[in-house]
Amino acid sequence: MNAIDDDKLSKAASELATEISPERDLWPGIEEAINKPKRSRWTPMLAQAAAVVLIVGASSLLTYVAVKYDNPAVVEVAPANLVFERAAFGGEYTFASVYGRAGGDVEARFVREMAKLSPEAREGVELSLSVMRQAIDDISQALEKDPNNAFLQKLLVEAYSNELALKNRVGRVTQRVMARKDI
Amino acid sequence: MGALLAVPASDYSPQMAPLKRPELTDEAEWIARAQRSDSNAFERLYRMHIDRVYGLCLRMTGNVSEAEDCAQEAFIQAWSKLDRFRGDSTFGTWLHRIAVNTVLGRIRKSKREQDRIQLVAEQGARLVTVADTGDLRDLSEAIDRLPEGARHVFVLQAVYGYSHEETGDMLNIAAGTSKAQLHRARRLLAQQLQEQGFES
Repeated sequence: MNAIDDDKLSKAASELATEISPERDLWPGIEEAINKPKRSRWTPMLAQAAAVVLIVGASSLLTYVAVKYDNPAVVEVAPANLVFERAAFGGEYTFASVYGRAGGDVEARFVREMAKLSPEAREGVELSLSVMRQAIDDISQALEKDPNNAFLQKLLVEAYSNELALKNRVGRVTQRVMARKDI
Repeated sequence: MGALLAVPASDYSPQMAPLKRPELTDEAEWIARAQRSDSNAFERLYRMHIDRVYGLCLRMTGNVSEAEDCAQEAFIQAWSKLDRFRGDSTFGTWLHRIAVNTVLGRIRKSKREQDRIQLVAEQGARLVTVADTGDLRDLSEAIDRLPEGARHVFVLQAVYGYSHEETGDMLNIAAGTSKAQLHRARRLLAQQLQEQGFES
């Protein structure tokens, strides 16, 4: 049993002061708080909610548009009547005609100069040309099977170039002979 | 009542003496005016009730600074909730309920309770109010040292005279729990006071 019984404690507790003055006046702080312009507590929450709705809405709209227009229209970047040139030539490329036009003058001069060569020299030139033409035919046949083969395209160009170079040299041979001072 | 309504604003000075026991009809009028956002009327209510609200806060927290903050916050809360006061209880009881909620809310939000206990141990008699003298000072100090739950029940039930049902409602505990905490508080207080030679 406690030496201090409940009655004595209850009596003492009921005698304790229930009204105590604060050491300082608390009203100025209260007045300042209650006279502040009321700032709605919902404003930040509404702003956040609006941001979320905006993001979700924009995302949904983007997804809808992407799904609806799954087959994107072709965007024209050039006039429809523009004729495109191939960047490289293949089996469909008529290189011979281009070569023929470019080498027309060379060919005419070659015919004239061949007539000036000795029979032995002419035979050697014709042999070299036949080898070159055979190479051109072989390369052209290979390009028919693989028209976009860049390596074959390059070989063909080199073969035609070599043919033209040979024909040019034939003409120069007679020119050099004629230009000799020691004869 | 008409005379009170005619009181000029200059009469609401901070130095105005606290009104200890307002006439009920007067208080009702001040409440009605405060509910119409009259801060001068609310200051009048503050001065009527501050000592009782602050006393409760001080008894429950045992810390002067914390009690001041709680009392201020309680009145600010009361101002914002004035429209909810319907006169079912006295304004003082309604304020007490808000003050208790404020104390409990602040304790929940912070670890100050632990700091408070340490402060009480360090500062001892500094927290005892000048309103208590003699053995009552010893009792007041002993109450400050009680564990939180027992202290809150003892203050509300034994000091302020609330029933166990009212105490339970304010502290969000069952009436039975309130009784158990009161018993625990009495036992701990008796031990402390016996050591100090309590005579009352």
